Amino acid sequence: MTVAQAPPAVRVLGLGKRYQIGAPPGGSTVYERIGSALGQRSRAPSDPHPTIWALKDVSFDVPRGEVLGILGRNGSGKSTLMKILARITAPTEGTVEAYGRVGALLEVGTGFHPELTGRENIALSGAILGMSREDIDAVQDRIIDFSEIGRFLDTPVKYYSSGMFTRLAFSVSIYLDAEILLIDEVLAVGDAAFQVKCQERIREAVGEGRTVLFISHSMAAVTSLCDSAIVLDQGVLRFAGATSDAVDLYTQQILGM
Amino acid sequence: MVTRARSGRSTGSTAPVKTVIGPPARRPSLALGELWRYRSICAVLVRRSLMVRYRQTVVGAAWAMIQPLLMMVVFTIFFGILARIQSEGLPYAVFVMIGLTIWQVIGKVLNEASLSVVANGGLVKKIYFPRAYFPIASALGSLVDLAWGALALAALLVIYQIVPGWGLILVPVLVAIALAAVLGISMWLAALNVTYRDVAQLLPFITQVWMFTTPILYPSTLIPTEFLPLYWLNPMVLVVDGMRWAIAGTTAPPLQEWIQGIAVAAFLLGFGYAFFRQREPQFSDTV
Repeated sequence: MTVAQAPPAVRVLGLGKRYQIGAPPGGSTVYERIGSALGQRSRAPSDPHPTIWALKDVSFDVPRGEVLGILGRNGSGKSTLMKILARITAPTEGTVEAYGRVGALLEVGTGFHPELTGRENIALSGAILGMSREDIDAVQDRIIDFSEIGRFLDTPVKYYSSGMFTRLAFSVSIYLDAEILLIDEVLAVGDAAFQVKCQERIREAVGEGRTVLFISHSMAAVTSLCDSAIVLDQGVLRFAGATSDAVDLYTQQILGM
Repeated sequence: MVTRARSGRSTGSTAPVKTVIGPPARRPSLALGELWRYRSICAVLVRRSLMVRYRQTVVGAAWAMIQPLLMMVVFTIFFGILARIQSEGLPYAVFVMIGLTIWQVIGKVLNEASLSVVANGGLVKKIYFPRAYFPIASALGSLVDLAWGALALAALLVIYQIVPGWGLILVPVLVAIALAAVLGISMWLAALNVTYRDVAQLLPFITQVWMFTTPILYPSTLIPTEFLPLYWLNPMVLVVDGMRWAIAGTTAPPLQEWIQGIAVAAFLLGFGYAFFRQREPQFSDTV
């Protein structure tokens, strides 16, 4: 998409991910193995485990310090792409080059433990997200402030309301110390005021020179935040370029189909 | 497979760390460098399990002392007093307590670590770090329980007026052998359990068999001489025999028992980890 003068923050090249349907990737069950050893064909004869490409031949660059929106309907491969970038799942083919540490914000509250207090969870999930003790101490007050949980800080989070829980979790993640941030749909937490605050925080992060890859179904959020966008459809890259064009194409896809 | 041009987590705004993500290698490397880089995760996992383990219990961490003591009392009544099992010249209570102190910990690690990847499925699907840290954290966290158990054992030694000899300095080595063995087996089982939940069903049986093939309730002198080389393939035989010798002055394990025990423990750890690494790329898609 963009002609990159400086090296990009993220370069995705021919990325593909194949999943097997109906069987764990580790192999078939013992029964099936015994069955096939005996020459028995109990399941679909030719292809017992059909495969599906969740992503196929996807390539794009993300320039440093920009926000890239990732659009696509459910099942288009957005989350698979994010999981590969976060190294949670391995691609079947292709490569990703990431220049800088990748911080993934794929789901709020991951690593939170219900028995621990808000303060303890800040420390622990900060560390799980790759921050050092000093990093966490440096931003702890801002996290607490941002989350608006105030006097419940030393209460075990299992007694939190779901709103408090997600606000705290998001606040921890958004202050994580990474050069490349992956944000998947998490802006859907909290009330409208909190969402506005989250968008401001993302802009602030970009202002600090970070690169953001951003999945959202909110066209308003994408339009206001993203410098450029890509559209995925059934695992294939349909478009990469200006945000407004991407939003148009995606809207057509939803309405036109 | 993942390679890094520059290691470390230097935050400098200069040339950023380059990471390349590609398909899993057919023969994955052991990635010990990466394991080291993510070591802070290990501390977090250990701390988390310790902080949580005894919350909302009345006596708290003292459970780690009470459990082996209660089992010691039960076994002493049935095997020591009623069945009169030999105990290498030691009071049966001391004899069985030494074995139980280490076995309680190893059995617990086996059960916790073997299920650890599946139990942490939520984390596996959301956050990347070397998955080997789930079983490793179980093993390291258990050292706290071992310390409490050792305290209970020490109290018993005082009551029976048994003074350990110089061999006591070898106890950490024996604990390391035991942890290496249990970690190796657990990594194997934990990786298998992701695909085959049958492992979880087999686990109580495996634990029982391992316990009965270890001289905890009975002395290893009960084993016929011709079967000893086979019996010594269980590293826990060396660990328990060694502990009794180090703490209470029973016969020292012969050299062959040491060699076999250490070799098997190292083999289990090495191949367990290699197997775990090979299955690791599939965890997040399967768990």
